[in-house]
Amino acid sequence: MIDWFHPGLIYILGSALIPFFRGTLKKVYLLFIPALAFINLLLISKGVFLSEGKTWSLSFLGYDLVLGRIDPLSTVFAYVFVIASFCMMLFALHVKEDGQHIVAYLYVGSALGVVFSGDLLTLFFFWEIMAWSALFLIWYRKTKASFGAGLRYILVHFFGGACLLGGIFLHVQTTGSIAFETFQWGVGLNWTNLSSYLILLAFIINAAVPPLHAWLSDAYPEATVTGAVFLTAFTTKSAIYVLLRGFPGVELLIWLGAIMAVYGVVFAVLENDIRRLLAYHIISQVGYMVCGVGMGVVGTPAGEMAFNGAVAHAFSHILYKALLFMGAGAVLEVTGKSKLTELGGIYKYMPITFHLYMVGAYSISGFPLFNGFVSKTMVVQASAMWHLPIIWLMLEGASIGTFLHTGLKLPWGVWFAKGEPACKAKEPPWNMLVAMGITAFFCTLIGVYPKILYDMLPYPVHYEPYAPAHLVAMSQLLLFTFVAFWLLRKRLHGEPTITLDTDWFYRKAGERIIWFCEKPLMTFANFVDRFVLNAARALIWFSKNPAAAFEIKKKEMLLAGKRRLAKSVSTDVCEQALEEEKRKYPGELPGLTLGASIILILFSFLLYLALYLFAIP
Amino acid sequence: MKGTMKHLFRILYGCLFLSILAGFGVHFYLSPHHYFVWENLPVFSALYGFIGCILIILGSKALGHRWLQKEEDYYDKPETIRSRDS
Repeated sequence: MIDWFHPGLIYILGSALIPFFRGTLKKVYLLFIPALAFINLLLISKGVFLSEGKTWSLSFLGYDLVLGRIDPLSTVFAYVFVIASFCMMLFALHVKEDGQHIVAYLYVGSALGVVFSGDLLTLFFFWEIMAWSALFLIWYRKTKASFGAGLRYILVHFFGGACLLGGIFLHVQTTGSIAFETFQWGVGLNWTNLSSYLILLAFIINAAVPPLHAWLSDAYPEATVTGAVFLTAFTTKSAIYVLLRGFPGVELLIWLGAIMAVYGVVFAVLENDIRRLLAYHIISQVGYMVCGVGMGVVGTPAGEMAFNGAVAHAFSHILYKALLFMGAGAVLEVTGKSKLTELGGIYKYMPITFHLYMVGAYSISGFPLFNGFVSKTMVVQASAMWHLPIIWLMLEGASIGTFLHTGLKLPWGVWFAKGEPACKAKEPPWNMLVAMGITAFFCTLIGVYPKILYDMLPYPVHYEPYAPAHLVAMSQLLLFTFVAFWLLRKRLHGEPTITLDTDWFYRKAGERIIWFCEKPLMTFANFVDRFVLNAARALIWFSKNPAAAFEIKKKEMLLAGKRRLAKSVSTDVCEQALEEEKRKYPGELPGLTLGASIILILFSFLLYLALYLFAIP
Repeated sequence: MKGTMKHLFRILYGCLFLSILAGFGVHFYLSPHHYFVWENLPVFSALYGFIGCILIILGSKALGHRWLQKEEDYYDKPETIRSRDS
């Protein structure tokens, strides 16, 4: 009997069989895969397969590849990945193309592979599958914009992957071990630190930390309606997982995380595309988690609170962000529009979608009784316990912006605003509504009964989210945010613009570099080319018959001199003679006697000797 | 529609008042543990929410209008230096 079966492999192997099913059977099969993975996880949790603290490994090139490392941290991420993938697949069930389902499950499976990997080589392997399968979720939209965005997406991830691989090799070289444990971290440059820097760089590219975040807000809104829902969950959250595993308590991450949280909010104000607005809020929300990782010094109460907070918030975030993208995706699916300037007043056509979307909006804003409230406040609380006033203010400020955009501006602009409906719409297919309903149920369940989530966390939780002080502070914050929104709502209408972000550097500056290569650099290269070729041609001409060539050149110069001195003198005869001579060139070569040849050879030896004696010191 | 809006606003004013009242209540009767100075102000969250929201809107919009927002075909347009050459 096998002791263990990898939940990720259920998805990866299962995806290969998708084309063999038809009709209803295929739909059943698609939902059966996450169900099977869930049962597998339950068996792991109960210790039937491989109990916690144990690993499942195979040996490869003298190293032990650990494909299955079971501990509370990996199981909690695996649970939410599997639950979310079920809801997402239900949302995507109406899609006819098998390819989309296959890449979606490859994506989920490889994210699970990352979560369970106990060594760096396995991690890299699944990391790369994840990047590639995500690319196809973008390309399946089959528009020009999605092609470009996908290409930029994969180029950024190539860079990240190369950093990771380089870091891994350096790490193995310096420590001799491929185990994926907490990395040594320190300031100053030596080989051990360099490997940690490279690996951290790869991780924060996937976590979309500014200024390396632009791939996310660039590519996710261009993905297919259902693909975008998958994309919201796995890349950034598996990055949070590896950061928690490899770099807990790295102070740099506290600041990066807080900046991220605010950055996403500022850019969301300017966005007109609803899915891009939500994508900026992924960056903002992942900022809370990155901040939590930074504060997560293991062994201190505040650190464990932050660590737990990051895990809990990743869990909540996957659910409510999927729900929000489902809502925005449903609007795009039925109307074909995703811009605030083109939408508005469609509440009377899509009330159910609106209410389900709002559950996600309440969750992300941290309304009491929804899951964002029980997880986000843990990170904020940790910043208070560490006595970091600026971080606390930044995180609370980001909460305001989150509610302002996802909870107020977006639903106002899409479902109300203009009064009259801006376009025709209807409720989306049943599977989309049911998927949104189930996700909304989970968001509320965890909000109402947070113990389910808290019991799964890696450290014991000493936190009461529903303490009166927390409740009152959060209610005041949200209510008065609404007041400010209502006063300024006229200024928040969508504008038909796009926003510059750090992708400018590779989209615009890159174009300029290409221009520079094509124009000034090529002109210079051509000039050098022509000069060298002409010189070579002249030398060849000259060496055909040096004696005659000398004569011709001499006559040419004489002729030029004569012309300049006396302009009246006719030089036609001389010119004709010279032309005749040039035409005949090289003409008859003078025959050399044997003696003359030997003298020439000796002369060249003499030159060489002189060179050898004097020129080379 | 007008009636419902009026009704909703009455509820909103009620909630605003209650949240402020609850802020004072919690501050004086339960006196929870404070981490920062500003938590001595029972209405701090309300003020922060209101002022913060206004600052986010005005600040971001100013940043966007002055610098970051461009017309939608910004990236599709060929670079100006390019078109001049060709």
